Amino acid sequence: MELLDRYLKAVAKALPAAQREDIIRELSEDIRSEMEEKESQLGRELTEAEQEGVLRQRGNPLLVAARYRQDQRTLAFGRQLIGPVLFPFYIRVLSFNLGLTFAVILTIFMALGVSGHPIGFNSILSSVLLQLFIQLGAVTLIFSLVDRHLAKHPDRWDLSGQGGGLWCGVKIEKNIDLHIPPDTPRVSRIDSVSIIIACAVALLWLTEVKTYPFLILGPAAAFLKLAPIWYQVYFPIVLLTVAEIVRAIINLVRPDWTRFRAIFSVFSHSAGLVVAYFLIRAGSWVVAGGSAAEHAEDYARTVEIVNQCIYYSLVLAAVLSAVMLVIRVAALLRPSRGQAGSPSAGAPVKEGN
Amino acid sequence: MTPGTSNHDLFENLRLELRRGSLVLAVLAALRKEQYGYTLRKTLSEQGMAIDEGTLYPLLRRLESQKLLLSEWREEEKRNKRFYRLSAEGKSILKQLLAEWQSINASLNGML
Repeated sequence: MELLDRYLKAVAKALPAAQREDIIRELSEDIRSEMEEKESQLGRELTEAEQEGVLRQRGNPLLVAARYRQDQRTLAFGRQLIGPVLFPFYIRVLSFNLGLTFAVILTIFMALGVSGHPIGFNSILSSVLLQLFIQLGAVTLIFSLVDRHLAKHPDRWDLSGQGGGLWCGVKIEKNIDLHIPPDTPRVSRIDSVSIIIACAVALLWLTEVKTYPFLILGPAAAFLKLAPIWYQVYFPIVLLTVAEIVRAIINLVRPDWTRFRAIFSVFSHSAGLVVAYFLIRAGSWVVAGGSAAEHAEDYARTVEIVNQCIYYSLVLAAVLSAVMLVIRVAALLRPSRGQAGSPSAGAPVKEGN
Repeated sequence: MTPGTSNHDLFENLRLELRRGSLVLAVLAALRKEQYGYTLRKTLSEQGMAIDEGTLYPLLRRLESQKLLLSEWREEEKRNKRFYRLSAEGKSILKQLLAEWQSINASLNGML
């Protein structure tokens, strides 16, 4: 019952961790009972199409999981923008994005403070509010569009992705043993869609950051500007982003091309390392600019601290990229999972403690 | 949207609202006898109170968290199943709810 296992896996991913195993055990038992009853009526095993029919009747895994959640909060301004199904994912993504953005703002302000540059409350407030507005607007818009799509087409889902059709990237806990056999590996379609959206936003940002440096430097854009090295690596970075979009579109159409994704990943991490190498070698990533250009010496300490922060960020990014590259290469060299022996496909969900 | 469709949608919403409260009563009543989810769903359906699993299981969990139901995992026919039954508190609440339902029913019968 490979289809059933995939369906359960898709539901499990959208359930709260504390209740996940218990709910899946019960849901699994209920669906198996229904399938067995149909089989005894027909006097034969259900075909894959018939199994799919039973699961389709159960509904979209995301909607099924949402009914079990006690958190039924929504986002509404007059009319509902984000319903209870997507709301927990919305909060998670928004928290991550805002956390990351505020960490960058905090680093810049700390660098300014340490270098003795006066920091006004107004500049802190305006930076925080601007980022809050941008992030809140972008994330809310994307989620409300997905929510509208989900409300309009609740039946438009499939089990061809690794974790089911509609999937928002919640990590499944390792300690849950759903006894899911290693079926044909596939690239999740929701992962592909997420990457297309994320890379498209990144491309837009890359285009705008040249004209509006405050998008990356925040308030420091008044007296800092990007060093020439960024303009040298600009085109390769854009090219890599476009290539990732193309790769995601291909995997959206052909989710079974996992080897293609793995090979592409090795290529993109290698290219990323080359870009990181040239960036690190440059030694300086921001210089005094704007009003500060004429008094470069006064801003030398600020420039030095910001450059140090960027240096450590680049080294960290390069190390992470190198680790990912090693993992990807090792995965490519390993024999494919499909060739390994698989446990009984009809095995029931394992009992918990 | 045609007036007919709108009327139908309105009726459907009101009908679901009316059934929602009755479902709790039906589930509690059916669980005076211990059952697991699938057989409970069949029992309710046979009695004309069909309920989809997406509604039933979250409802069972809610009633259990309110201490009206007790549940236990047990093996039956070589498979682990979760059996539900009414708790002592559940029995008391069911008795009160039934009295309330009969009173509402009597009032409505008087008005109709």
